[in-house]
Amino acid sequence: MSRGDASQVNRLPAGMLAAGCLLLLLAAAAMAPEHLPDVNPDLRYAQPSALPPFGADAAGRSLLHYATQGARVAVVPAIVAGLVVGVLAVIGGLLRAMGLRRIDGWIQGLGEIVGALPRMVVVLVIALILPRDARVLLPLALTWALLAAPGAMDEAAAVAERLGGARFVEALRAHGYSAPRIFLVHVVALNLRPVVVRQMAEVTMQVIFLEIALSYLALAQDQPSFTHPDSLKSWADLLNLGYTWLVFDDVQTGHALALGVALIGIVSVMALATGRAARAR
Amino acid sequence: MRQWWVRPAVRIGAALLLPFAVPLIITLLIWALPGDPASIICPPESCGGTAALAERWHLDAGPMSFFSHWMGQALQGDLGESWRFLQGESVSVLVREAVPTTLILMALALLPMGLASALGAKNAIPEKADPVLQVVGLVPAIVLALAAAAVVEVNYGTMSFAGEARWARILAGAAVLGLADGVFSGAVTGTRGLFRSEDQQRYVGIAILRGERKLPNTLPNVAPALAGQLRARCLHMLSGAVVVEAVLRIDGLGDLLWNGALWQDFGVVLAAATGFAGLSSLLLVVQALTEVLVAVHVRRAPAGVLS
Repeated sequence: MSRGDASQVNRLPAGMLAAGCLLLLLAAAAMAPEHLPDVNPDLRYAQPSALPPFGADAAGRSLLHYATQGARVAVVPAIVAGLVVGVLAVIGGLLRAMGLRRIDGWIQGLGEIVGALPRMVVVLVIALILPRDARVLLPLALTWALLAAPGAMDEAAAVAERLGGARFVEALRAHGYSAPRIFLVHVVALNLRPVVVRQMAEVTMQVIFLEIALSYLALAQDQPSFTHPDSLKSWADLLNLGYTWLVFDDVQTGHALALGVALIGIVSVMALATGRAARAR
Repeated sequence: MRQWWVRPAVRIGAALLLPFAVPLIITLLIWALPGDPASIICPPESCGGTAALAERWHLDAGPMSFFSHWMGQALQGDLGESWRFLQGESVSVLVREAVPTTLILMALALLPMGLASALGAKNAIPEKADPVLQVVGLVPAIVLALAAAAVVEVNYGTMSFAGEARWARILAGAAVLGLADGVFSGAVTGTRGLFRSEDQQRYVGIAILRGERKLPNTLPNVAPALAGQLRARCLHMLSGAVVVEAVLRIDGLGDLLWNGALWQDFGVVLAAATGFAGLSSLLLVVQALTEVLVAVHVRRAPAGVLS
């Protein structure tokens, strides 16, 4: 077996795992109902054995709906944020590979200033100025992506620098390669890919965690979330249900906590596996 | 080649600019949105007569008038009053009470991070443990903070905020900040990676042959990059502090910012965000000073070379 074959065999399970997790999350988002079903007191705090697959909340409503609605709230904006970071990281790498030092320098300077502030502070400022009837995750996800972008661009630029930067491109030109082949295949697909894909996966994960955190904090104070309308549930609702089980003995919602943590686990595994699948040989 | 002082000078410049730029940008953002700023900050259905409020909050004469008035007062130590969160309360008092708590929280959170960096520098954690570290690093702050809050509230009660309970909340918060979101694992692997690549330099081998120790030779060269990593992690922890303080109900700057945003209290958010900008400036100054000290150190002739 050649070296390339061996690395492909190693990366394949990670790629399949990442794709499986992503498909699961997208399927959950697509399955999400517009509204939760009616209250059913008979199934109050039903365990998964009594109401498969995940049990019920205090009103007897299946936690499956919490999981799917939470996916609907978070997954697509998170993927969009990941894509934005990916595109900007590729631009950062290409600028370094093209040897456009002046533009590269300006972007680095801008990145230093943008990156000098804690991201959550900026996100909360944006959340503050969003109209109440436009409370969705996407603007906050895009803000997070723009704040994460300088780091990703910097890392991609460092990869292009190690590659030889403009000299690498010149060398390939001397071999008669076309510009699209040089930049799209040799620079982006073969060399920037590991960094760009990992950054995309990390930002996707971070945005989902951001949604959970913002929703949980609003929920804990009985306030509307910045990230979704009141008619939808977030995965933070599962954590909140589970938290009451941790603190109060008489509330049997451990199954909600287990489901919330499992969903977070799926997102983390997706990010980790995506990074591994895109790893350089 | 770029002069050695350019980077630290840019950082100092950014540090001076940040506490002014942040409130200015927030103010301009409010005016850039379509609609009346007073209505955006406090919708008429919640606040009633916006014209009177606009006059009271100095929103009626444009963004620069508002900003110059707010900044002029802020420079004299008056950050105005809370508009909605704790209506009428002095924001200066709220910020003065919150900042020390956040600083204590951050200082304590630096302990696990510093330990991780030391372990990484000494190569004390084998690379085989990296997958474990990576998995631990994936745990988000919200999950660890919830677990920590549960432990504190089970032991001290849900409404315990003073004395020992307050310190338990702060210590638990610091532990969460130091471990969650990849801070600990990043500090181990990041520091180890830096030292490992520096150890491969030729001068290190020569220094060992001369009977010198490795660390005093490599440290000055890795210190600027280490300071950069440290600042990035501290910024990350400041971001996490908002979540940790709000979940653990620690009365710090993050909790204040969160409540300001939640209650759409522009007065509180403006002051809290400026407070965070001040802390970020402090980090920039520390990084710049490290770079200056290293530059001064490496420009002195090393003892032994000229003897």
